[in-house]
Amino acid sequence: MGVISVDNADRLYWLGRYTERVYTTLRLYSKSFDIMIDEITDTYQAFCEMIDIPDIYGSKDKFRRNYPFDEANPDSIISNLLRAYDNAVELREEIGSEALSYVQLAIYSMNKAKISKAPLIEMQRAMDNILAFWGIADDSIDSREVRNMIKTGKRIERLDLYARLNMDRKDLVREVNRLAYRITVSGLSYKKENIKMLKELVEAPQIDYYKIVEMAETVL
Amino acid sequence: MYDLDLLEHTDTVNELLARYGVKFGIYKNNEFKEQLFPFDAIPRKIEKKEFDYLEKGLKQRVAALNLFLKDIYSKKEIVKDGIVPKDFIFASSGYMAECEGVTPIKGIYSHISGIDLVQGRDKQWYVLEDNLRVPSGASYPMIARELCRRSSPATFETNKLEDNRNYPKLLRQAMDYVNVGGHTVILTPGRYNAAYFEHSYLSEKTGAHLVTGAELKVEDDKLYYVSYDGKLERVGALYRRISDEYLDPMNFNPQSVIGIPHIFDVFRKGNVALINAPGNGIGDDKGIYYFVPKMIRYYLNEEPVLNNAPTYLPFYEEDMKYVLEHFDNLVLKDVAEAGGYGVVFGNSMTKEEKEKFITLLKKEPRRFIAQEVIDFMDIDILEGNETLPRKADLRAFVLMAEEPVVWKSGLTRFSRNPDSFIVNSSQGGGFKDTWVLSQ
Repeated sequence: MGVISVDNADRLYWLGRYTERVYTTLRLYSKSFDIMIDEITDTYQAFCEMIDIPDIYGSKDKFRRNYPFDEANPDSIISNLLRAYDNAVELREEIGSEALSYVQLAIYSMNKAKISKAPLIEMQRAMDNILAFWGIADDSIDSREVRNMIKTGKRIERLDLYARLNMDRKDLVREVNRLAYRITVSGLSYKKENIKMLKELVEAPQIDYYKIVEMAETVL
Repeated sequence: MYDLDLLEHTDTVNELLARYGVKFGIYKNNEFKEQLFPFDAIPRKIEKKEFDYLEKGLKQRVAALNLFLKDIYSKKEIVKDGIVPKDFIFASSGYMAECEGVTPIKGIYSHISGIDLVQGRDKQWYVLEDNLRVPSGASYPMIARELCRRSSPATFETNKLEDNRNYPKLLRQAMDYVNVGGHTVILTPGRYNAAYFEHSYLSEKTGAHLVTGAELKVEDDKLYYVSYDGKLERVGALYRRISDEYLDPMNFNPQSVIGIPHIFDVFRKGNVALINAPGNGIGDDKGIYYFVPKMIRYYLNEEPVLNNAPTYLPFYEEDMKYVLEHFDNLVLKDVAEAGGYGVVFGNSMTKEEKEKFITLLKKEPRRFIAQEVIDFMDIDILEGNETLPRKADLRAFVLMAEEPVVWKSGLTRFSRNPDSFIVNSSQGGGFKDTWVLSQ
């Protein structure tokens, strides 16, 4: 049909954000899990602080069990994945059944991971499903507008997370450049001054991470 | 017994159905849940000759029902001529006075008709119900066929059958035929509707945009879709998947929050095609069902090809007498209910329940029909490595564009409970693909 409703534009954007959030937090979780194997004192609190979620866990073990799988916790990885699905399932005609199926498969992988003796292996499959979702979205969605709306959400979320994680300057510069390009071709109305400010912030001698998060969150 | 490679892949097909989100929504204890629709790989097979017979009967039935709807909302000759008593028209919950004098584009009322049939042990087919409002279910055998072919190509090399994946094409033709200019859209109540999968899948496959009421607006007696950048795009045909009464809060149920204010005014002026037309509910009425063979004779001057299940109307004194005398052998249906609800078997009631029911029946005879319990032909389903007989029905679909077309497949639903005749998905039933053999 070639026209996108306000609701679907919003869903496409949030589909991009949630899938990115799931992907990046899964990667971080796996990395942190590895560090926690050797640690004597708990460091999971630092992880919570880093990605700006409340520490409701109390111990490393509870964190390792609940953070990925607890559907009652709105900050958990599975909750974010379910929010991605909530958006995707209402976009079947925009993104296609194939792309939607990879979001569904990621949920199945997380459900398997929850009861698996080797959860990290199943979680790797969930990450693979997210990557496949992005791949097929890029490959098979005809509408450039639709693709760009998903990617805009993805780019904003990644920059937001990378800034919260105090990532290296080169990573931030790359993500700001990607966002700057994507947002201009998305058709979404955005604040040009925020993009300009973001470019300056990542080049400044002292990086103001909070400001980057603020600019990224208010760019639309 | 079944030399089908496909049966070895039942689990794979079900996994694929889960992957593609082939689910239906259900409310239990006020909570929405999505359930997978269990698929059984043993297909219902219909020989070409047998389907030719069904096709003829289905076209005839739908043609008569269309003429009935046209007549009822205009001259009412069938009432004047004493074929259908007026009590069965004006007291029907499906009758809509607002539709009086309104003729849909090209005179088509039922663009998509779902006719429910069962086959008796005598191999005779009986029509159980006509669904002319928003019949659902075509997407399930269609996607199942796609996944079965992927799972077991060998099965489809050795069995020559009609390809049922043309349903979106037929649907699109039906929609385009009445489109008055502009986009074609599918109106859904939203994600929490039981048939949401079907709405979104048909939208993807037909290329029609899936919309909710909030995304449409009426301006200057025309219907528009509002895009994200504020542009208004004209809509020429709307395939609505919501009930008549919720379609337009200004003309029908004022409580509706899923409809579009004034859409009925646009329809009345001929500025949009509504698929199916509002007011069709009277054709779904189980009381009206009794009269369909009479309609065929009246409007088409033909003998009905397909039989109704033997039905009695307690409204008529003679039928009431029969129903009371044979109560235990009959199934009683509330005419206003659907989805397998409001169906009771005389022999399953306690003495108290029976007395209570008969009191109600005498008080509101128009509200019920009674039918002989048809001894359905059982259909095998797979349970592990075993095959077990179960009751099943068939929903056949007739699509109306320039000519009526019967889709060469259908939704076969079966009861998973060995003692039940109720096949509805909302009550735990499963489904099968329906194979129409091409040779």
